[in-house]
Amino acid sequence: MNQPHSSISRRSFLSKTAAGAGAGLVLGAPNSLRAADAGAPDTLHVALVGFGKQGEVLFNCLKNIPGLHFQAVCDISPFNLKWGMGQVGAHQKSRPQGYTDIDEMLATEKGLDAAIVATPDFWHSPHTVKCLEAGLNVYCEKMMSNTIDGARAMVHAMEKSGKLCQIGHQRRSNPRYRYVLDQLINGQKICGQIVNINGQWNRSLGSSQDIGGEKLHKSTIVPTDILNKYGFKDMHQFRNWRTYRDLSGGPISDLGAHQIDIFGWFLGVAPKSVYASGGNDYFKEREHFDNVMCIFEYDTPQGNVRAFYQVLTTTSAGGGFWESFMGTEATIKISEIASSSAIYREDGAPKWDDLVSKGYLIRKPAPPKPPPSADTVQVYESAPPEGFDLPGAFNKPAHQPHLENFFNAVRGKAKLNCDARHAFESEAPIYWVNPSALSKQPIIFTPEHLSV
Amino acid sequence: MSTEEETCCNTHKLGLIYGALLLRVWLGVRAIQTGIEKYAGTKASDKAVDGPAGAYGMTDPDAVKNYALENYHGVPSGLMKKFEAEPMMLKFGLPLYDKILGPVLIILGVTILIGLASRTSLFLLGLLYVSLTWGLILINQNDGVAWLGTHMVLITLALMLSDHNRLAVLKKW
Repeated sequence: MNQPHSSISRRSFLSKTAAGAGAGLVLGAPNSLRAADAGAPDTLHVALVGFGKQGEVLFNCLKNIPGLHFQAVCDISPFNLKWGMGQVGAHQKSRPQGYTDIDEMLATEKGLDAAIVATPDFWHSPHTVKCLEAGLNVYCEKMMSNTIDGARAMVHAMEKSGKLCQIGHQRRSNPRYRYVLDQLINGQKICGQIVNINGQWNRSLGSSQDIGGEKLHKSTIVPTDILNKYGFKDMHQFRNWRTYRDLSGGPISDLGAHQIDIFGWFLGVAPKSVYASGGNDYFKEREHFDNVMCIFEYDTPQGNVRAFYQVLTTTSAGGGFWESFMGTEATIKISEIASSSAIYREDGAPKWDDLVSKGYLIRKPAPPKPPPSADTVQVYESAPPEGFDLPGAFNKPAHQPHLENFFNAVRGKAKLNCDARHAFESEAPIYWVNPSALSKQPIIFTPEHLSV
Repeated sequence: MSTEEETCCNTHKLGLIYGALLLRVWLGVRAIQTGIEKYAGTKASDKAVDGPAGAYGMTDPDAVKNYALENYHGVPSGLMKKFEAEPMMLKFGLPLYDKILGPVLIILGVTILIGLASRTSLFLLGLLYVSLTWGLILINQNDGVAWLGTHMVLITLALMLSDHNRLAVLKKW
């Protein structure tokens, strides 16, 4: 199983000849022609470690980044491996080497510059550490690890190796998020004093079901001895590792980590405590909580901030996923989904006409005034805040700028936006959410909780 | 035959000719545009917005639909993976099918539209829809199966009206 796959297979041959057939018929072979020349001096040679769903998401972004040659693909699933090699081969017109074992890959492949790690969470740390020790720069998906010690090991390995290690908190490279932080919160200080934060990821029941059923085609089945060797009890665990305690951190790390990361990044400080509640409210058999709510408290130079976060896997009501920074003068609600974002100026706050005229914000049309009704309690109500939008869009795939930042850093042209140490500072508090929910007790953070 | 009967027969015949023509146009346009859409993509604006946000890489929010060879996807990638995992799917045939689906739809659409071997073209289009139907049955997409079923009814109607086919480049076959 550890032998590299042949670089020419029947499938690749057919794929290439079929392209020719299609070309002859009408409009020609469709394929991106932007793959890097493997021999060019400035080409970076990349290994793709893990080609499941997330691996493919990342690869579809990587395809848009010039100067990359995908030298090897590694996945313990023969189906994923074959699929990944086919995808890469179709993109760059040369088949990468394929491996089911990362040690074999690192021992065999020479000249690799970087690895993209998109394996299950409990393999992030071992795989990242191996790659760093082998002299590769690493982009690893978040959550850094399923354990805080695993995350610590990644920071140590990065600093010992002197190589780059970027963690996949992709919002840190998102132009909309960076603009909001630099220009609106820190620059123009439009929020006034941020007092509360609200964030959520509400996911529908339909999107939260287990992956795969009883009927699996034999080509998708990973042999049991291979599964066991790599820490999976069976195919259900392999496909649904996110629901197992030993393999992942559950929804609060799987979904929540992206957004709780933004809390700390925008505030510039670590929280001082967390208090959480969670339960198996619907998915009774799952090891992880299906719904979790938590409150972090921050002590910032401006004053205390309370941040409420909820991850629900039983409803999508409430508008999906977003983070809302609520200040005395304005609230900025931001999301990777532009339509879920909005900015509201409090009625008593200074006018923003100047900011609008200078292009910092655009004003939303005022909503129609509701007719008076019997249930109106205007005496107690605040005037509705005025609505604004960000003045532009971000039109690339969500992960692409973060990957671009990584490869620019590898080329010495940029600084990482989320290296392993900064990612650890962001993720460390998240490791204590489930323990707080389990014990039904708040956790007051000490240096032991949050330090590397 | 009386003059009244002749008028009635000619009127009836004209209706059948129009019916045959309309079906040809509908099926031809449907196939051509479906094939062309496989080359469609969305090109987001890369023009930086004016003001401070432009320096962060924020762009005009409008995205423009475009057509290009590099956009081509015969079988949508989401379905491709599902087909790959199907035991009954011929693995070696799938990439070939993916490559030729769009061009074949366009070719058959054109031949049906201009009336080039209309009956054979309609028959081949029917076979193509049968193949699509089979794939959708495999992955349990019953809505799509029903949708294709309506196309099959229209193709059958067009074949039944082929004796009334007019404005055709090649009536044979």
